[in-house]
This record gives sequence, structure tokens and C-alpha cells, in this order.
Amino acid sequence: MRAVIAEDLALLRDGLTRILRAHDIDVAAAVGDPVALAAALEEQQPDIAIVDVRMPPTFTNEGLVAAIEARARRPGMPVLVLSQYVEQLYARELLLSGAEGVGYLLKDRVSEVGMFVETVRKVAGGGTVLDPDVVTGMLTHHDRNQAMARLTRREREVMALMAEGRSNAAIAGKLVVTAKAVDKHINSIFMKLDLPLDAEDNRRVLAVLRYLQTD
Amino acid sequence: MDRAALRDVRWRMILRLEASVSVGIGLLMLIIWALAGARYFWPAWVWLGLAIPLALQVAIRRGRRAPKGHRLLAAHGAITCVLAAILLAIWVLAGAARHPFWPVWPILGLSVVLVGHAWIRHALPTAREQALAERVAVLTRTRRGALDVQAAELQRIERDLHDGAQARLVSVAMNLGLAEELLSKDPQSLTDLLAEARTSTLTALDDLRTVMRGIQPPVLADRGLEGAIRALALDLAVPVTVSSEIPGRVPVPVESAAYFAVCECLANVVKHSGALHALVDLGYRDGVLSVQVRDNGAGGASLTAGSGLRGVARRLEVFDGTITLTSPAGGPTVVRMEVPCELSSPRT
Repeated sequence: MRAVIAEDLALLRDGLTRILRAHDIDVAAAVGDPVALAAALEEQQPDIAIVDVRMPPTFTNEGLVAAIEARARRPGMPVLVLSQYVEQLYARELLLSGAEGVGYLLKDRVSEVGMFVETVRKVAGGGTVLDPDVVTGMLTHHDRNQAMARLTRREREVMALMAEGRSNAAIAGKLVVTAKAVDKHINSIFMKLDLPLDAEDNRRVLAVLRYLQTD
Repeated sequence: MDRAALRDVRWRMILRLEASVSVGIGLLMLIIWALAGARYFWPAWVWLGLAIPLALQVAIRRGRRAPKGHRLLAAHGAITCVLAAILLAIWVLAGAARHPFWPVWPILGLSVVLVGHAWIRHALPTAREQALAERVAVLTRTRRGALDVQAAELQRIERDLHDGAQARLVSVAMNLGLAEELLSKDPQSLTDLLAEARTSTLTALDDLRTVMRGIQPPVLADRGLEGAIRALALDLAVPVTVSSEIPGRVPVPVESAAYFAVCECLANVVKHSGALHALVDLGYRDGVLSVQVRDNGAGGASLTAGSGLRGVARRLEVFDGTITLTSPAGGPTVVRMEVPCELSSPRT
């Protein structure tokens, strides 16, 4: 697997590169600004871009904008956005460019190296992974939402873990229930959110998306 | 008893004396009139003559007691009332029934003048009001400047923390995470990672100290303005002589503004002037703190180029402070800042 890293602080750029290389992920390019990122993506066609939100020239959300643009140029291009603080707003904007192959994480999570590398692989494989902080924020936000109000507390917990990109087995482990029970909850969620059966493969992503995007 | 009250008492005594003398003269006239055969009642005219100065005095007095800024108008109003009363009295004494009511015309005239005065008074701002309006304009401008400075400061602090301490701590976490994994696999690179993590932690601490110094240098609280500037001078590449004659402690906000102003000036000296030596002179006279920074560099500095000194100017304006710069090409550059403030008791 090949990755491109965009991060303006050399310290963190090197740290990320080292972690990925230690886990047999090839870092095709590590750049420090959005222009270089666009060029690297064009040239390398990587399996995933790992992008810092804040980059030159204005140090606000260039990284986010660059990620969204990259996905506009190459739809479905997997992007994992990292930041030193997370905003629900940014998560929403990112998800509007499509919910597949998107990740948005607090940089702190990188220290859980195993989890982080797993996340990189998951996003590269088309998964959706959001930081638990974003999910928690949205969870409180969605308490007021009608469609979400129909979910039981247990189902919402399952939903939150799905949004964090966890597999059924991982959710079962986290909630200390059987995989079968998780299956049941997820089916119930699909029913309650009116997700059609024919989109079987995408229903998981669609549920997360619906969960995150409804106001 | 204050001076105004004393004057008031004195005036009352004089008025009472005047009134007694007037009443005396009035009674004397009445007696003369009665002795002379009590024909046409002429003492009324004398009484009128005696009453006029008393009434005018009372009227003026009342006017002067009105709130500041309205005194002239109040005195004018009172005098107008007295004059109207005099005219009416003359009309009555002259035998009201025998003449038309002529006082209406002069009273009308007096009223028009009074209304005119009131209108002008209302429409035209006084010198005091103009001064206040100017003050409000200055305060509005300096308050906006202060908020701009504050917002820029907060942004700078956020960025310093984000790129400094926070980034280093993230990197430490990354390294420790990787180290955890390598614990069994690759002990040699583990040592390197741990050393790097330790260095990053120390640098993060350094970064935090720098940020804190930028917010409020601890030495400023400990040693005051002079001490803090001496401490600052020790860290600079250009030798700086500091002299100070401040007989007390400058208020904390002014102290902080003056300190950062000197920081900016000295940073300019180091960065731009090419000076071999700089002088900082602190003084306090007639309720004004003066700070002068002088260097023997190339000169050519300006208040408009670059935002540094302009920022200083805006910071000082909040305290009604001023900044003047003389910097001819070839030097020397002298920045003089003055901030009105009151000192607290001298340091012991």
C-alpha cells in the first residue's frame, strides 16, 4: 500500500512517515503544503492521502479544502484528515464529498499506533472512520433528532461505534455482547433509518452518513 | 465649610443688611409722605426703586446656582422675570386703569430674546461638550485599536501553542506509541525513540515558557519594569544600558504595555538598526511615565512601515499614551513613549 503525507510541521511529518514505514506502508511522498500535495497526488496516485487540516499559507483549514478538492478530482480517493483539534463542521464538510474512504482523526490517536495503522488501512479500503470526539459531539447533537430518537440507547451506542469505523466483532467486544446481538441491532438500525435492502454493501456507510448528516 | 458655602453665607448677610436698610428708607419715606399731608402716594415709586436692586441680586444668585453649563441661561431667565415684574409694577403704579396694557410689548420682546438664547444654547454645543465629543471619538478609536491588538495577540498565542508545545506533545505521543510496539521487536531503535521523545518533551516545555513569557513575563511581576527590561537586555545580542528614575511602582497594565513596547523597540534595534549599542531610559515626571529607547544604528525607521511600532502605538493609546519617533537616515533612532499614570507607593 502507498500513502502520501501532507503535514507542514516536519516533526510530525517524520513521525507519521516512520510509523507507516514501520508497518510496511510505503510513503510515496511527504509534503508540507497543499500545492505540493496536489502535485504528489497527481504524480503518485497513492492508495491514501493523510492530510493535516492546518497548512500554509493561511494556517486555517487548507488541508481540509485540499482533501475535498482531491476527492472532487478523483472521486472516492481515500483521504484521512488529521488535526490537533476536531470540529463537527469539518467532519460534515468532508463527508459531503462522499462517505466512503474518509477518515477524520485527532492527531493524538496516532499514538495508539496499532489502531492508527488499522484506521489507515480501513480508510484506504473505502471505510469511514471518525474520531470518537466528533462522534460524541454529534451524538449529543442528534439527541434532538427525530429519526435518531427512534433508536434505542443500545442501538445508538452501536451506531456511534460504527461511525468510528469498528467492525461487528469489535463492536461486540466493546459492548460485551455477542456478535449475533450486534447483527440484530444493526439490522434494526437499518430498518429504522429506512435504508433499502438492495444497497446491501453500502448500508453501513449510509447509516453512518445519515446519522452524521441529519440535523 | 467649603469656600462656596462660605460665600453663600456672606452673601445672605449682605442681602439681609441691604433689605433692612431698604425697609428702613421705605418706612422713612412713608412717614415723610404722611407728615407732608398724605396726598399722591409717591413713596410707592421709591419702594420700587429700592426693590429693583434686591430683586436683581436674588435673580442673578439663583441663576448661578443652576447646574454647570446652564448658569448663563438661568440668570438670563431670572433677570427677564424681574424686568417683566418691574414693567408690570410701573404700569400698576402709573394707574393701571388709565392706560392700555403697554407692558405686553417690552415683555414680549424680552421673551423673544430669552427664547432665542435658549435655542442657541440648545443647538450649539459648548466648549465642554465639544471636548467631550472629541474625547469620545478618541476613546472609540483607541478601544477598537486595543481590541485589534488583543485579537492579534490571542491568534499569535494560539499559533505558538499549536505549532510549538502541542505539536511536540503529539510527536512525543507518536514516538511513545511506536516505542511500545518496538519494545520486543527492536530494542536498539527503541532507545533512539525514547531519547527523541525526551528531547521533544523538554523542547515542548521550552515552547510553553516562551509562550508564557509572551503573555506575561514572570520577571515583570517579580522585579517591575526596570528589572524586567534589565533581564531582557541581558538576552540580547546588542549591549543595552538601562537607566531608570521611577519613584514607585507603575500600574500593572501600563507596566506590561511599556515592557512590550520596549521589547518591540529593542527587537527592532537588534534586527534592523545594525546598532552597536542601545540605551533605555525610564523616567517619571508630573504624572507621566516616559520611556526612551535610543540606538546608534542606521536610522530610517518609521511608524508606518511594518506593524511593530504601530502595534506599540495602539497599545499605548489605550492608556492615552503617545509615541514619537525620530530616525533620520544615518541615525540615531530615538523612540520616545509617554504614558500618563499614577505610581503606587515606592518599593521598599
